[in-house]
Order: sequence, then C-alpha cells, then structure tokens
Amino acid sequence: MAELTPLADTAEPAPGPGTAVRRIAYAGSWGLRAGAVLVRRALLLAAMLAVVFLAVELLPGDAASATSERGDSAADIAARRELLGLDRPLWERFADWMTALPTGDLGTSARGEKVADLLRDPFPNTLMLAGTAFALTAVASIALGCLAAARPGRLTDRVIGHVATSAFAVPDFVVATGLILTLSLWTGWLPAVTVSGPDGDPANWKMLIMPVLALTIPQTGWNTRIVRGALADQAATPHVEAARLDGLSTPRVLLRHALPGALPVIATGLATSTGMLLGGAVVVETLFNYPGIGSVLAGAVASRDTPLIAGAVALAGAAITLVLLAADLIRAKTVGAQR
Amino acid sequence: MTSPRPGATAPAASGPPRKPARHKPVRRALGLIAPAAVLLAVALAGPWLAPHAIDKPVTGSYATAGDGAVLGGDQLGRDVLSRLLDGGTALIGGAFLVGVTVTGLAAVLGCLAVLRPRLGTVLERAADLAILLPPVLGIMLIALAWPDGGRWAVILAAITLGTPYAVRVVAAAAAPLASAGYVEAALMRGESTFSVITRELLPNLRATVLTLFGLRFVEAAYIISTAAFLQIGPQPPEADWALMIRENAPGILLNPWAVLAPSAAIALLAITVNLAATALAPRTKAVIPA
Repeated sequence: MAELTPLADTAEPAPGPGTAVRRIAYAGSWGLRAGAVLVRRALLLAAMLAVVFLAVELLPGDAASATSERGDSAADIAARRELLGLDRPLWERFADWMTALPTGDLGTSARGEKVADLLRDPFPNTLMLAGTAFALTAVASIALGCLAAARPGRLTDRVIGHVATSAFAVPDFVVATGLILTLSLWTGWLPAVTVSGPDGDPANWKMLIMPVLALTIPQTGWNTRIVRGALADQAATPHVEAARLDGLSTPRVLLRHALPGALPVIATGLATSTGMLLGGAVVVETLFNYPGIGSVLAGAVASRDTPLIAGAVALAGAAITLVLLAADLIRAKTVGAQR
Repeated sequence: MTSPRPGATAPAASGPPRKPARHKPVRRALGLIAPAAVLLAVALAGPWLAPHAIDKPVTGSYATAGDGAVLGGDQLGRDVLSRLLDGGTALIGGAFLVGVTVTGLAAVLGCLAVLRPRLGTVLERAADLAILLPPVLGIMLIALAWPDGGRWAVILAAITLGTPYAVRVVAAAAAPLASAGYVEAALMRGESTFSVITRELLPNLRATVLTLFGLRFVEAAYIISTAAFLQIGPQPPEADWALMIRENAPGILLNPWAVLAPSAAIALLAITVNLAATALAPRTKAVIPA
C-alpha cells in the first residue's frame, strides 16, 4: 500500500550529538513494536483455534457416530463417546486442548492415535513442498515485477501483467494437470507420481519439481502483480523521481531506490500467499500421491476426525502466523526507520 | 498491522482524496469482456447441447476419440463431451451466487466499517483471523461440520471465507471518500447511515464493487472447484469439471481428453472472467491485500 510508506519526514533533525540517545530510544521503541506485533499475532492464532474448535464442535455429528461400525448399538456409540471424552463439557475439552498445545500435544484422534504422531512425518513433507514453492515464488515474482516496472507501459509490462493475472486465476490442481500432461506424458521428462522411499519421504528430488511448480505458478502471478503495483507507487515518490532525474541507470533506481520502499508491501503480499500455498499443497499432494498432510486430511474428513483436522489447522495456522509475523516485523522496521 | 484503518480519516497532508480514474477506453474493455461472456453463455447452454446422457456409457472405458464420442469416453465409458457440456452450469451458478453475496455483504459492511470506526476495527480483526485459515482447510472444516450440505456447504464456506477479505477491500476504497465534503454534509444533515451508504458512498464505489465482483467470482470458482476436486460437494454420478479431473486422472494415458478438456474449461473460465474483471478495474490498489 502506498499509503503505508509515508514520505521520509522532512522535519527530521540532522544527526548531531543526540544521535546515540536517539538510537537507543529507537531500539527501545523497535523492541516495543516487535513485542506488540508478537502478542497480537499470538492472540489472533489463539482466536482462530477457538473458532475452529467451536465450528467443529457446535455443528451436528461427532466422531463417535462417524466412526461407528454397521452393527453398533446406541450404547456402543455412547461408550465410545465417553472413551473419546466427548461427553465432557465443551469448554473443558477446549481448555485441555489449548493448554496441551504448547507442549506439542495435539490431542488424540478419533481412532485413538496421537494426532502429533499422525502428523509428524507428513507435515514436514508438506512444509518442504510449500516452503520451496514460497522461496521460488518470492524470487520469481520480484524478478518479474522488476522486469515489468523497468519498462512501464511497454509490451513487456503488459504481457507480464496479463500472464500474471491469468496464472493467478487458475486453480493449482488444474495447473498440476497441465504440467503432468506436458512434462510427463507427452515429453516423458519427469515421473508423473511421487513414489515414497523407505523413510516415507519422496524417493527422488525430481518428484518435487511438478508439485512445486503447480504451487509456484499461480502464486507467482498474484505476487508479481503486487510487486509491480508497489514499485509503481514507489516510482511516484519524490526520492525515486530525484534518483531518476539524477541520471542513475534504471536497474539502480529500481533496486536501490524503489525496491526498499516497496518491501513492506511485498512482504505482506508474500505472507498472504502462505495460506494459499499450504492449502494448495494439500490439494496438489492428492494428485501427485505426495506423502504430505493432504492424504491424512482427506481421510480425516471422511471419518469426521475433529482432533486430527483441528491439529492440522493448528499447525498450518502456526506456520502462517510465523510468516505473517516476519512480514509485520519488516513493516514495523521500515515504518520505524522512517520516523 | 498498520494497514489503513477503515474509518481513519485521510490525513490532511495527503491532499484531496484521489479519485480513481474510472473510464478506460471502452473498446479495449469490451475486447476483454467478450470472451468471458461467450464462454459463460456456452457453458450455461451446455446441458441442452449435450449429444448424450451424462450417466449412460456410450463407449468403452477411456476410449479414445471417435465413434460418436468426439472427446472419447471417461472411466465408465460415458461421453466426455456431454459431461463437459453439462458440468459447468452448477460451478458457474455456484460461483455467481457466492460472488453476488460476498460482494453485496462486503459493499454494505465495508462502508459501515468506514462510517463506524469501532465496527471497522472488529471487521479488521475478523479479516486478520480469516487469513490464518487456508481456504482448503476451511472447506474441509465446514464439510466436516455439515456432511449432508453437499454443494450448499461449499457455497456457505466460500461466502464465509471470502467476505472478511472483500470487506477490507471495500473499506480501503471507501476510506478516502468518508472525509469527502459531500459525505460529511450528508452526515451533518442527519441522514441515516443506510442512506449515506446507498446514496453517497456506493455510487462512487461502483467501479471497485464491480471489479470486486469479478475477482470474487473467480475466487469462488477456485474454491468450489477445489472442493469438488477433493470430493466435497458434488458427488460422483454428477458431471462436474473438477470431479471429472479427479475421476479420470488414473486413465490420463489412455484418453488424455477426459482430463484435458475439463482442465481447459476451468482454466478458460478463470482466465477470461479474471481478465474481464481487471479490464473493468479502476486504477486503485483494490487488488492488493492490506
């Protein structure tokens, strides 16, 4: 947002004897801001977990009846409900679950297994998939955004703009299907499905290429637009205009003068992508038979395994919170530096 | 987050509220809107154009093109073309419903957030909260909570998950207007909040709202088709583009068209509508998340 990066305060006194004091005061206020951001993110995560827990608990149907066998009587179901602790008051179960979370205990699934155990192997795989896609997205979208911004209004700019807009609109599983057809079936370059090795991880790094691309392409479209927009806003600011009038080269103006100011917006945009990347990973995994949380979740939905889904959402929420926190800190630092 | 708080009045230093340039060359916009219109018309008329029944085998499993089935057969030997023509109506109808509802809710709530700063803060927090829940997990949760909901559960999920973000977009666009003279004058005259929203704010936000609808339509198509792909929502005998991709993926070697055709249909729908929406876009930062 252009409005978020106010022009450098022109009333700023020149650096003088007070600089050291000011620096300490600045470090203190930066610490305060960082602390406030941290607390706020933690509260939001807790609130989201509460909403998720309530949504699953308050709506009809529960795990006891969902996992029942054909011949189970009402008494059997009631017994299982007691076993799973579903007969206890809602707030009590929620309090238990929340207080156990920080210790890494995600509760017990409807089938009686530890949720943390069920997610221990697949979650890192999904994180690796989404994380690789995230890194690629960041590099590609900043590069493409700069390329477009270097020639505003020219053909390159317009082509990148339209392609980015289109790429972002296509669901990841459709991109994945296209990739399978082109890179695997018609050319035979890459294996079409992921085969797990003995340790449960993908057997070959080549099997990561297509899932990562399927996640990267739509999100790169989205973020390229954000980078391009943020750079356009920066181009209109006096200091960038001054740099351009000074005759500096376009790459230098872009990278040294426009990009730093655009960083908070870019960071926020990328952070917003994290959710889409994690969610997309779940979808793309099913298509490539990738050993991540996608397959675990698909089974959990079928058996109405509330603790398992809530656990997965908690982990995803925590991962997203971390990335948003990083974006907040970048923003706080930039805004602070301009005070 | 230091996002422009809905309700915060524009700082005096930033001068008069920037007016979005609203009119792009009409011809260029039409060129980008026409493909979407044509595609939507074909997809909606599809069920009447289908040459075969969608649930009766007419050829072999994964039969290649030819012999009455132009795009070959699917995993049960049903005609891919007929299923393709039939499969778009529900997706487009659902996405349209979600797009209209979310845009309508966001238009009213977004303006309200600007006029009532305290409510604005609450809505802002709700949007922050919604970002922490990936749409796919959100759909799973709602499907889990409402197993008999089918398509409606997915539509409800798409509305619930999409509204907070859309509210933020409208609020960001409405914020500079709230301090405009004519809005303050209307408030001073003692006009009701509802009247200020419908008569002063929304008419000036029509470009933003129109674009928002287009983008929400695309987003809804994304959520609904992703849910169908995960087999939440439409159930197997139904012809649904996303479901077709999922069902026919194992036979992709035998009859690629059974997967390629619905994939291309979804991609075309998303791209054309998205381009049409951006063609209508005012030159604001409405698409950028706060």
